[in-house]
Amino acid sequence: MDTINTEVARQLAEELPPSVLRSIITTFEADIGRLAQELLAAGRAGNAEGYHRAAHSIAGAASAVGASRLEREARMAMNPAHHEPPHVVMPRLMLEAKAAIEALRLLRP
Amino acid sequence: MRPRVLLVEDTPTEAELARAHLSAFGHDCDHAGTVAQALAIATTHPPDAVLIDLQLPDGSGFELMRRLRQAGVDAAFIVVTVNASVKAAVEAMREGAMDFIVKPYSRARLQVTLENALETRRLRAELEAARAQLGRGSFFGFVGASPAMQAVYRTIESVAGSRAAVFVTGESGTGKELAADAIHRASPRAGKPFVALNCAAIPRDLLESEIFGHVKGAFTGATDNRAGAAKQADGGTLFLDEIGEMPADMQVKLLRFLQLGSFTPVGGTKLEKVDARIIAATNRDIRAEVEAGRFREDLFYRLYVVPLELPPLRARGEDVLLIARHFLEVFSAEEGKGFQGLDAEAEALILAAPWPGNVRQLQNVMRNIVVLHDGPLVTRAMLPAQLIQPSPREGTRPAVRVERRARAVEPLAVVEKRAILAALEHTAQDVPRAAALLEVNPSTIYRKLAAWKKEA
Repeated sequence: MDTINTEVARQLAEELPPSVLRSIITTFEADIGRLAQELLAAGRAGNAEGYHRAAHSIAGAASAVGASRLEREARMAMNPAHHEPPHVVMPRLMLEAKAAIEALRLLRP
Repeated sequence: MRPRVLLVEDTPTEAELARAHLSAFGHDCDHAGTVAQALAIATTHPPDAVLIDLQLPDGSGFELMRRLRQAGVDAAFIVVTVNASVKAAVEAMREGAMDFIVKPYSRARLQVTLENALETRRLRAELEAARAQLGRGSFFGFVGASPAMQAVYRTIESVAGSRAAVFVTGESGTGKELAADAIHRASPRAGKPFVALNCAAIPRDLLESEIFGHVKGAFTGATDNRAGAAKQADGGTLFLDEIGEMPADMQVKLLRFLQLGSFTPVGGTKLEKVDARIIAATNRDIRAEVEAGRFREDLFYRLYVVPLELPPLRARGEDVLLIARHFLEVFSAEEGKGFQGLDAEAEALILAAPWPGNVRQLQNVMRNIVVLHDGPLVTRAMLPAQLIQPSPREGTRPAVRVERRARAVEPLAVVEKRAILAALEHTAQDVPRAAALLEVNPSTIYRKLAAWKKEA
């Protein structure tokens, strides 16, 4: 699985004016930075609801821009059937978040 | 008009992307990040469709749909979620969503889903409007589903919001006051008074005072200031029934009131301004009255802004049965009788009768039946003779004929009964009219009928 789903990236590039796509990537960067902090804080505090909500938002934002691997990690964090604790999931998720942002920066028109 | 879409999404990336798509579709888009914001926006700028993320910071998308419905927001709800499970889809539909989109979605998928939902909503609204127009069996105080009455209901609805004067015409007993009342109740003035005045029932010398009021000492008996119907109807509706009977001098004063919106009470010196919507009615041919010079043409044009003609009962097809059943139910309950309906023969006779006295005559016949008989079904035998064997001239109603033949001296009770029955027969069981001819109160006749029934 690629960091960025090329099909989604191509679709966004075709459907959106360059200025809008640039703006969305910028918004995504800000979102992920904020949501990662929220996820981290909720994980540390043992706040399951906040953890789930932040993971849900990361999954949504990632899916919107085609950040497939980040989306997968976020969905795993959201899934109660997935037994990995936050301190195991979060480093991977953070790594994927950084990778997605870097990949999207390269795609920025 | 561009469809208005409310996007409820708390993640800025997704919101920005969805807004870009919606803008490309040519839709007006509002954005809310929480349930509370969505409710506030939807109630101030009602949307045609709402795109709803299921997980919001202050509640769920399902909760939002419930609260939007409670707030009367009639929009197409489309749930947008990262959860692609069948369970989530079923729950969304059960909660009232029209469709369901799983993230990530393409622009094409969003467009198709949204257009389908908007089209479905539009068609539902059209269907409801068509049903409402075609299938209404009742409307405010009216009972009737005939095409003629649907046209009346539509006119009333169309004119209700306006300030324009309405002129109601129709034969006696067709419901002219009911129509005026319906216009008032369907209008923004519904919370203000509806004042009805029958111009024919008020002595000509008192009509000006009844409409415009008087000040203390204006005439003998004017012991205090009294507000007239125009003042009482301020902010609401003034219904002038039998306007064709209004004397010429009073027509001038009414015209002046309509032109200026103000009047001077009888005996007063100060102009009073009121805001009353005027509805006038007559069973006369008002144009003929104008042509004959009995009704002022300028007043006619002031009043005849929106004409509303009420059809006679004979032109309303099966409405006659709907109305008969309605009165049977109402009077049965009032009189504590067990009527449940009409048998086929009675229905056929009622349907075939010409009803020259219109709904009022039917009302009286049904009351008569309920007072004099027991249920469960109305039969031919309970119907008045005149209804079963209408005279050849029934449509034009025969002139008054009073029994003048000399009789042997009879007990007073017998004479009284004979006179009442003759009057009822003459008026086709129209108790108020019979009472008017006999110069007694209608309740006297009802009381007598009940007493004779007990004796029998």
